Amino acid sequence: MDNELPVEEKKVAFNRTHQAIEAERMLRRIKDDFPDNPDAMDYFYDLYEQVYCEGRPLYDTEKVVGTMCVQVPDELIYAAGGVPVRLCNGFYADDQVGAEFMPAKSCSLVKATLGMLDNKSTLPFVNKVKDVVLPATCDQKRKAGSMISEMGYEVHNMEVPPVKESEEARLYWRRSVHNFAASLKEITGKKITKTSLKEALAMVAEAQKAYRTLHALRKEAPSIFLGKDAFMVTNAYFFDKIENWTAAVNKLNAELEQRKEEKFSAAQRRAPRILFTGSPPIFPNIKLPVLIEQSGGVIVADETCSSNRMLYDMVAVDEWNVESMVASIADNYLKPCTCPIFTKNDDRKRKLIHMAKEFGVDGVVYQAFSGCQVYQMEHSSIAKALQAEGIPMLFVESDYSPDDMGQLSTRIEAFIESLKAKRRRKR
Amino acid sequence: MLKTVKDFVNHGDLRRFRFWLQLLLFILFIYGGYAAIQLGDNLPTFSCTYVDGKPGTCFLVPLQHRMVTTPEKLFSYAGMAILTGLFYFTLWFLVFNKAWCGYACPLGTIQDWITALRKKLGFQYVTYSWEQFKKLKKIKYALLLLLIFIPMGIGSGIFSHDMGVPFCMICPARTILPIFSGDFSQLTIDFSSKTKMIMTSLGMLITGIFLVGAFVKKRFFCFFCPMSALHYLLSKPALLKLKKDGSKCTKCGDCYSVCDMQIKDIADDVESRNILRDDCIMCFKCVSACPEEGALEVDFMGQPIFEATVQGYIKRMQKGNKSG
Amino acid sequence: MKYFAGIDIGSTAIKVALIDENKNIVASKVTSTGSHFRKNSVDALHGLFTENGLNIDDMAYMVSTGYGRKLLKEADESVSEITANAIGALEAGREYGEIRTIINIGGQDTKAIQIDESGTVTNFAMNDKCAAGTGKFLDVTARNLEIELEELGDYHFNLKKAPLPINSTCVVFAESEIIGLLADGHGKEEIVAGIHYSIAKRTIRLAKRIGLEGLVYFDGGPALNKGLVASMEDELGKKLVIPEFPQITTALGASVLAYEAYLDEMETA
Repeated sequence: MDNELPVEEKKVAFNRTHQAIEAERMLRRIKDDFPDNPDAMDYFYDLYEQVYCEGRPLYDTEKVVGTMCVQVPDELIYAAGGVPVRLCNGFYADDQVGAEFMPAKSCSLVKATLGMLDNKSTLPFVNKVKDVVLPATCDQKRKAGSMISEMGYEVHNMEVPPVKESEEARLYWRRSVHNFAASLKEITGKKITKTSLKEALAMVAEAQKAYRTLHALRKEAPSIFLGKDAFMVTNAYFFDKIENWTAAVNKLNAELEQRKEEKFSAAQRRAPRILFTGSPPIFPNIKLPVLIEQSGGVIVADETCSSNRMLYDMVAVDEWNVESMVASIADNYLKPCTCPIFTKNDDRKRKLIHMAKEFGVDGVVYQAFSGCQVYQMEHSSIAKALQAEGIPMLFVESDYSPDDMGQLSTRIEAFIESLKAKRRRKR
Repeated sequence: MLKTVKDFVNHGDLRRFRFWLQLLLFILFIYGGYAAIQLGDNLPTFSCTYVDGKPGTCFLVPLQHRMVTTPEKLFSYAGMAILTGLFYFTLWFLVFNKAWCGYACPLGTIQDWITALRKKLGFQYVTYSWEQFKKLKKIKYALLLLLIFIPMGIGSGIFSHDMGVPFCMICPARTILPIFSGDFSQLTIDFSSKTKMIMTSLGMLITGIFLVGAFVKKRFFCFFCPMSALHYLLSKPALLKLKKDGSKCTKCGDCYSVCDMQIKDIADDVESRNILRDDCIMCFKCVSACPEEGALEVDFMGQPIFEATVQGYIKRMQKGNKSG
Repeated sequence: MKYFAGIDIGSTAIKVALIDENKNIVASKVTSTGSHFRKNSVDALHGLFTENGLNIDDMAYMVSTGYGRKLLKEADESVSEITANAIGALEAGREYGEIRTIINIGGQDTKAIQIDESGTVTNFAMNDKCAAGTGKFLDVTARNLEIELEELGDYHFNLKKAPLPINSTCVVFAESEIIGLLADGHGKEEIVAGIHYSIAKRTIRLAKRIGLEGLVYFDGGPALNKGLVASMEDELGKKLVIPEFPQITTALGASVLAYEAYLDEMETA
C-alpha cells in the first residue's frame, strides 16, 4: 500500500507572499520615515500598494510585451498596439529563487528577474507576459535569454553592438530595430503604420516632457523633492499605464511648482546634494537612496537605467514616414546610451560631470551590484574623471540581501559627513 | 523683456520662418533686377547671370571670366581684378556665412520645394552610405579647381573658347532659374561646335540629374557645389557662426536625424566649438531639433541669436507630429 | 570645567574617552560590549566619571560612534566611526607630524582612511565582509595556541626562523590549519609570526587602494601587538605612527567632535 499522504496545495494569499511583505516594508519606510510627502505622490504610493502588496492586475485585454533593458524602443511596441512592461525585478525573494539555478556570483537584478519569470511569480502583470524582448546587453542578460526561453516564454533578441561609435554599429542596430519593428506584427497581431507610430511617438514624448519638467524642478536649491520619491515615480513607468503615469507626473510637477514658489525645503537646508549613479535601484530595492536621504543627504539627480536613462533622451524626426521614424528612434536609443556595456564610457563621464554641475551636486554615490562586472570595472575611471572636476565619489557594492544595511550605513554616513566637512572647509 | 524676445525666437517655428525667408529671397534673386536693385556681381550665391531680372551676379561668373588669362597677366593686373572681386565676395559672404546656402540660394530653395513635393506625394528619401559619402564629398573641391583651371587653360590656348564659362555650362541654375521668368531658352543643346555640343549636352544631363537627385535626396546638389567649397575655405572669420557646447551634448543624434546633408560631426563631435562643416548649409534644422539647452546655438558677432531649448524642441516636434 | 565625551560602541569592546575644554585627554576606559551594549555603555560612562572623581553633570556634550551609535539615545549626536577615527588620529598624531593615512584594525573589520590636513575624510576603504585580517584572527590564533593575546608580540620577536606562510584565507579554516601546523611540530613563534604577516599583507593591500601618502597612523586594539606592528612596517616599507592607547583613538575623535559640536551650538545660539 502506498505510504503517501495527499498533499494539499496551499495557495498563499498574495498579500502574504514574501514579495508582498518586502514591498510593504519598503513602502512603509518610504512613506513613513520622511515627513511632508507631496500629495501627488499618493497616486504612486497607492499604485505600488495595489500592484505589489495586493496583487491587483493592471492589464486585462491589452497585449503585454515584457522588456528587459533600456534599449528596447517602447514607441514601436505602442505603435504595434502592445504595451511594453519592463521586467527588471527588485525583490530579494525572487533573487533567492533565481539563486537556485544561477551562479553564486551573479548580478542580483538578473537573478531576481529570472526568479520572477521562473515561478511565474505572484506579480500580476507578469502573468500576462508571453513575449520577452531582450537586447543583447551585458553577459548575464544575454545568457538569460536562452534560460527564459526554456521557461516557456517567447524571447525576441535585439542586437546591440558592443561598440557604439562606428558607422557599422549604427547600421547594425538600425537593422536590428527595423527587424524588431517588423516582427512586432507577429507578437501583437497589428502592423506598425505611419499614424500609429506618430501617435506612439507623441504619447511617449508627453511622458518624457513630464519627466524633463520633473528633472528640471529637482535643480532647485534647497531641494523641493526627495530622490526616494523620484525613484518611485520613475520605477512606476516600468509597469503603469503610460497615460495615467503622465497625468500623475504632471500633477506632481504642478505641486512642485507651488513648492518652488513657497520656497519649501524637502530636506535639511544644508543637506549635501547627491548624484546617484550605477546599478539601478528597482522597487523594493530602493534601500540605498533611502539610506542616503535618511543619513542627511538629498538625491537631486540620478544616472541609472531605472530612472534618468529610461526617460531622458527624446526622439527628433525630420520626415514623418515609418522608415525615417524608425531610423530616428533607432539612433536615439543607441547613440546617447550611457549603459556600461559599451567599450567606451566617455559619454557617461560627460553626462555625469554635466549633471553634477547643473544640479550643484556635492558628491556622487556610485552603486554597483555584486556580480556586475561592467559597473564595477567602470567605477575607477568615473571616480578619476569626477575627481578631476573636484567632485568626490563614493563607490558602494551592494546586492539585494537585507543584511548589509549596517555596513552600508557606515559608509554612507561617513561620506555625507565628509561632504559636510568639505563644505565647512570651503567656507 | 529680453527674455520674452529670446523665448519667442528660441521657441519659434523655424520651418515656417525659413519657408518665408527663402521665398522672399527667391523673389529677390529672380525679379529684383526689375525693381532696379543692384547688388553687384560678386554674390556668394547662385544669383544667375542668365536670369533676366537678376539683382546681381553669382561670383563664379566674373571669377571664371577673369581666369581666362595667361599666367603672366594673372600675376599682374588681371590678378588685381580677381582679388578685388574676391574681396567683395568675401565681404558679402562673411556676414551670413553658409546661411547663404540654407536661406538665400535660389537653387537651394528650389531643391527644398522639390523635397516638399516629394513629401506630399509620400515618397521616402534616399541617403548615402558612409562609404559613398566619403568618396562623393570630394567632388565639390574638384569642381572648384576645374572652374579655376579650365578658364586658365582657355586663356593659354589649351582649351577652346567654345567651352565658354565652363561651370555655368553645366550648372543647373543656368537652365532652371530663367524658367521662372518664362525663359526656356537655356534648355537647348547648342550644335554650333563640337565643344559647345558636349558642354550643353552635359548641361542638360546635369539638369536632369539635378531634378531627379533633388527629388530623391534632400539638397542633392549642395553636396557637389563648388560655391559651397569656396565658402568653406573662407568661413573661419565669418560673423554668423554655428556653435556647439560638447559638454551639454548627449549624442542623442536628433540633429543628425534631421540634417539634410548627413553631417555626422554635428552629433558625434563633442570637442569642437565651431561645428560648421564643409557640407553644412546652415539651415539650422539641427539647432531646432536639439533637446539639450544650449548644446547648439547660432551666434552673430559672438552673441547667441538662436539657441537649442527643451521648450522649443518640444513645441516644434509636437507641431511636426501633428502636421507631418 | 566642562567635559566632552566620545563613546565608541564596537562589536567586541566599548571605548570611552573624555576631554576637557583644552582638548586634553582627562580619562579613558575600555570595557567589553557584552550582550547588552546600551546598558554597558551607560555603565562604562558613569564608571569613568566615578573612577576619576569627576561629576557627570559637568559633561556638556556626548557623541557616540561605532556600530551601536544610533541606538544610544543618551548621546547628543552620532557620527560614523570613519569620521571619528579620522579626527581622533589627527589629534593624537599631531605630536608626530602630519597624519594623512589611518589604518584601523578592529575586532571585526579593517579600515583604511585617507584624510586631508583638516582631518576631512577624502577617501576610505573597508573590509567588513570577512574576518580575515581583523582582530578576530588574532583571537582565534591566541586561543588555539593557548597563549594570551598580550603575549603574541613576545612570541613574534622570539622567532629565530622565517615566519610560516598561512594558506587559509578564512579565519575558520585557518584554525584547522594552525592545529595541523602544531601537530607537524612547528613552533608557536613561527605560527604567530606567520599570522601577523598574513594580516599585515591583507591590510596593506586594502590600504593601497586609497593611497598611502604621508605619515601612516595605526590604531585599534591590535595596534598594541608589537609583533603585528613590525610585520605591518615590513609590508609597508616605512614606520607607522602608533599612539600610546591605540584602542581609544576613535572614541577620542568622537569626544573632539563633541567639543566642536558644543562650540557650534553655542555660536549659533
